[in-house]
Formats: sequence, C-alpha cells, structure tokens
Amino acid sequence: MDLFQDFENITFTITFIIYIISAVLFLIHVSGITRRLEKVAIITTLVGFLFHTGAMIARTVGAGRLPFSNQYEFALSFGWGIVISFLILHWIYRFSSIGAFVMPLAILVMGYASLQSRAVRPLMPALQSHWLTFHVGTAILSYGAFALACGIAIIYLIDSRRSTEKRILKDPEISDMLSYRVIVFGILMLTIVIISGAIWAQKAWSRYWAWDPKETWSLITWLIYAVYLHLRLRRNWKGKAAAWFAVFGFISVLFTFVGVNILLPSIHSYAT
Amino acid sequence: MNKHLSKVVRTIASLQVAIMLLILIASYVVIGTLIPQHSAPNWYLEAYPAIGETIVVLSLDHAYSSPIFIVLVLLFAINLTACTMLSLRGQLKQTKPDYFPGFTHEDQIITDVPEEDAIDFCTKKHFAIHQDHGESGFRASRFRWGVLGAAITHLGILILFVGGVIGNMMASEDVVSMLPGNEVSYPEEGFVIRLDDFHMTFEEEGAVKQYISDVTLIDDDGTETQHTLWVNNPLSHKGKTFYQASFGWTGNLKMTDTETEEVVIEGLLRSGRTYFHQPSHLTVYLYDYYPEMAIGHEQQPVSLSNREVNPYYAVVLYQFGEPIGSYMIAPGDPIIFENLSITFTHSVAYTGLLVRSDPSYPVVLIGFIIILIGMFVSFYCYPRFIRYHAGTVTTASGKNGWVFHHGVKQFLAKHDQQQNKE
Repeated sequence: MDLFQDFENITFTITFIIYIISAVLFLIHVSGITRRLEKVAIITTLVGFLFHTGAMIARTVGAGRLPFSNQYEFALSFGWGIVISFLILHWIYRFSSIGAFVMPLAILVMGYASLQSRAVRPLMPALQSHWLTFHVGTAILSYGAFALACGIAIIYLIDSRRSTEKRILKDPEISDMLSYRVIVFGILMLTIVIISGAIWAQKAWSRYWAWDPKETWSLITWLIYAVYLHLRLRRNWKGKAAAWFAVFGFISVLFTFVGVNILLPSIHSYAT
Repeated sequence: MNKHLSKVVRTIASLQVAIMLLILIASYVVIGTLIPQHSAPNWYLEAYPAIGETIVVLSLDHAYSSPIFIVLVLLFAINLTACTMLSLRGQLKQTKPDYFPGFTHEDQIITDVPEEDAIDFCTKKHFAIHQDHGESGFRASRFRWGVLGAAITHLGILILFVGGVIGNMMASEDVVSMLPGNEVSYPEEGFVIRLDDFHMTFEEEGAVKQYISDVTLIDDDGTETQHTLWVNNPLSHKGKTFYQASFGWTGNLKMTDTETEEVVIEGLLRSGRTYFHQPSHLTVYLYDYYPEMAIGHEQQPVSLSNREVNPYYAVVLYQFGEPIGSYMIAPGDPIIFENLSITFTHSVAYTGLLVRSDPSYPVVLIGFIIILIGMFVSFYCYPRFIRYHAGTVTTASGKNGWVFHHGVKQFLAKHDQQQNKE
C-alpha cells in the first residue's frame, strides 16, 4: 500500500512539473518567439500524460478501485480527462496551439488536487456500485471536453483581435467550429452523467431526482449548454458571443465540481 | 389557420420564448440551491431579515414545487411541443430521397477531384448516390433521417415531464422500522414482508461497510421467497420497492423485583424512547446507546463506531415526571431503584426500510433513452450531402459543415497520396 502511495506521490509531482514545462513551451510557441517548440511541447505533454496515467494506476491499485470517489481522486481524473481530450483533438486535427490554453487549465485542476487529502478511504455503502465507474468516468470525459472547449474559445477570443498573420489558428472559423464540436461531445457526456446519476440514485436512494445541489448544478450546466446549442444551431450564433458562452459554461462546470462541495450542503458531500 | 392564431402559435413555439424560459428556469433553480429548502416560514424571516418575506411570498422556500416553477416548466413543455410539431413537417420533407440542400457554401468546395475518387468516398462511407438528370456528375447523401435528432430529443424531454407529473401525482413513500421477526402487511398488493435478520459489516477501522437486511416475502397464496437487501440493492415486489435506508438500536430492558427475583417486565426499548412502569410511576428513558463507547473532547460519551466492542447505555430515570438519576451502564449492569433492578441485557439493531411505489420510473427511463438517442443522432448522425460536378466536390451539412468538409477533404487527400505512391 505504502509502495503504491509513494509511487503515486512521485508520479503526481513529476506530472505536475512536466505539465508546467509543457504549458510554458506551448505559450512560447503561440507567442511567436520561436515556432520550433511545437513538437517538443507535444512530446512533453505526452510524457507528462504517461506519468499522470502512472499516478492513476498506482492510486487504482493502492485503493483497490478506480480513483473516482473524493475530490482529490476526481481532480486527478479530471486533469487526466482534460489532457487526453487535448491529445485526441491534436491527433485528429493537429492543432497543437490549443495546448497553450488547455494545459494551464489542467495545471489548475492538478493544483486543486494537490490541496486535497490523499488518504485512501473505503467506499461508503451508497458508493459501492458499478454505476460509480460509469457515472464518474463519463463526468471526467464531459468536464475534460468542456475545459478543452473553453481553451479553444479563448483562442478564438484572442485571434478575433489579431491580424491574420499573428493569429494562433489561421482561420478563426475553425476554432469556432472546433469549440462547438467539443461542446457537443461534452454535453452528450454530461447527459449520460446526469442520466446514470439518476438511475443510480433511484437504486441507492429511491429517487431518480431529489434536487440535491450537485445534481441541480449539473442540470444548470446542462441548461447553459442547451441554450448555447440552440442559439448556435437555430440562430447561427457564432464568433465572440459563442466563445464567451463556452467560457461561461466552463465556469459553471467548475462551480458544479468545486463550488457546490464547498458552499452548498449536499448528499454528494462524501466527494470532499 | 386563422392569421392571428397562427401568429400566437408561432410566438409560443419561438426560440426566443424557449431561451427566455430556459434562462428563467435555470435562474429559479440556481436560487433554489442557494436558499435552504423546506424550513418553516418563520425561519426565513429570522435568517434573512431583508428578503425573508420575499422568499416566502415567492415560494422560494420550496422552489421546486412552487407554483411559479411549475408554471415555468409547463410553459416550457408547451413551447417545446409547439416548436417540435411546427418543425416536424419540414424535417420530414428533408428525409425524402429527392431532397437536397443548396450547395452554396463557397468554402466547402474541393476542386480537381477525379470522379472515381468521389465515388470511392461515397461507397466507402455508405452514401446513397443519386444521378443528376441532364447533368454530368452526381449527388449523394447519408443520414437524411438525422435531421429528426432534435425532434427525438424534444420528445424524450416531454416524456420526462410526463414522468415527472405521474411521479408527483402517484408516487408514495413510507419508512418502516423492523426488528428481526417483525412483519409488515400490504393487503392491497397481497403480500407480507418479514425481517429475518439485520446486520452490518465493517471496514477494518470500524466504518460501516454495508447494511444488510434478510427478508422473506409471503404472498397471499402462501408462497415464501427469501431476499437480501443492502444499500444499492433494493427489492421490488408487486409495485413496492424496498430500500435499505437506515438503522437504529434497541436495548433489551429487563426489570426484576429485587425481593422476589421475579421478572417484572422484559422487552426491547428503542434508543431515544421511554418505558413507563405504572406501579412505581417510574419512567425509564434510554437516552442513547454507544456500541463502542469512548469519552469525546467535551467529556461527553461518544461512540467510535457501530461495532459492539465496548457497549454502554445512557439511561435517565424519572418518577412522577421528575428526573431522579442518570446512569452509564454496561450490558447486565443493574440500576437499583426502590425494589427494582433495571438492566439492559443486550442490544438488537433494527432496520429502516424505505418503501416506495413510483409508477413514473419506467416512463422516465424511456424518456432518458429517447433523449440519448436523439442527442446522438443530432450530433453524430446529422445529414451529410455531396454534389460532384465537373471535377468539383461540394459538401453541405448544415451547421456541422466545416467538420464534414474537413473529413471529406482528408479522405480525398489520403486517397490521392496512396494513388501517387502506387
């Protein structure tokens, strides 16, 4: 057990440091000081991601379950979700510059994780369910996607003020569309999170919906992105307004993740 | 349709109204999470002197069942129904094989594409190819039915609303506390539930790992079936679902006459309850039970866990309503009062089962499934159209145009590279 915890602590610290280096490299890359660092930044991120995965595996083996059950574990997984979303997007579209805005978010989440207790505690009876893996696993993907969309939206907002030569992504329409596509994935995953949570709550607590602050804030986040989708698809809402909406939506995601736990009493209070 | 009526319907079904309602619902829900719910009206007046009255008047103390919230949700349901119905006709037209959009987007053109490559793309990606009459080239389409994704999602949400209404009107809930051997009868459903055993399992450091109730269901025809319930493993039978919800302790109270050694009374007394002994006007109050007793920071007894490793009972005696003594006693320790010896011999845990009947759940599940299908269709099976004419491929795919165009372009570029290599 201690061996795994030591390994987890070491890999966590290494991951954190590598992500900071990676973010700095990406920022140098997009600032235009030198354009040669793109590949190095991607490789650095990939190495950091491997260490991150190592920390997740060590936690999983040490705790005897997936790292999904408290704020530290979820933040660790959330950070992993952000980085894998970025790497997948880069793999498909080759837009590495996004890393300059996504990696700082991953660092922020990992920093939050580092402030939480890392003690391995047994699962309380209500959490002993297969739904935990599915519910929290999809939450990681959803939150990761929203973080990524937020990063892309920030790029759009910066690019929209710059001349064509100085833009991070040559065509702002691409970042606008990418942000939309990533949000689409995020909202589908968020829907699965809410539905799987409802089915689980019906099994554990007898009610599929009880207006608990955590589930209610998930619904609020869902409503925000639903408004975004409708304005975009039906009113052709693009550009700056859509980008600000993506940033605003991610703030709601962060509040659902962190704010609700700190400020509002909830039956999800085990997630502290 | 009457012109004015048509205008009213279009307004009700409009996106502006939908967005406005969504924002209002979200805002109301946010307020509901910020204000503690279901407290007494006076509490709000004291806790929020400036806005307490407004909270009570606007029913924000029970935000999610308040008339304002119900009206907002109802209006949204009407808006959603009207919007879906009005859009459906046009969407159904778009699913017909002869429908093609205008290929007008200038950015979505790929030039210098051999016809074989374009056909190869369409074949490999399962596009239906339509030859253009009187023109060279062709048009192709895939996922025409994907245009119905939004309508399917809306239908799922409406089914959820229906489920919610059914749940509010027909769901019932009750909590039963049962000691081993206790039975609860459900004559309308035609069965009896009996608790055979209740126990807890523990983690190494003492936290409860699981609460487990062994029960027997006895149907009216005499059929007996045994089941085990625990948290996350409820039991459903004839419309009732039993959930492992809580537990509590009872102490076995034994009062003995010290002179005759005759047992005056013996039975289980719940923690927090009293027993009144009429002949001596004595009330025995089992204040609390501490399975693993320790002394806390404030010199108060606390229980470290629910494992019975150091059990103690906190007992208060009253006579004629006046307290006459309080005691911390271990199982079997006697309290002597006049000619009575009062002991708690052992403890028995009782189970708390939440019994719920909710006919809305299957409806809600159907709603969930339909919403997921609708969203998946909307996001990933959106209609894709291609026109090939004179060496030029033009793509069209509504609001997802760039993504589809990017995919076609990548495919054709790879295809070209492969051919060059060969």
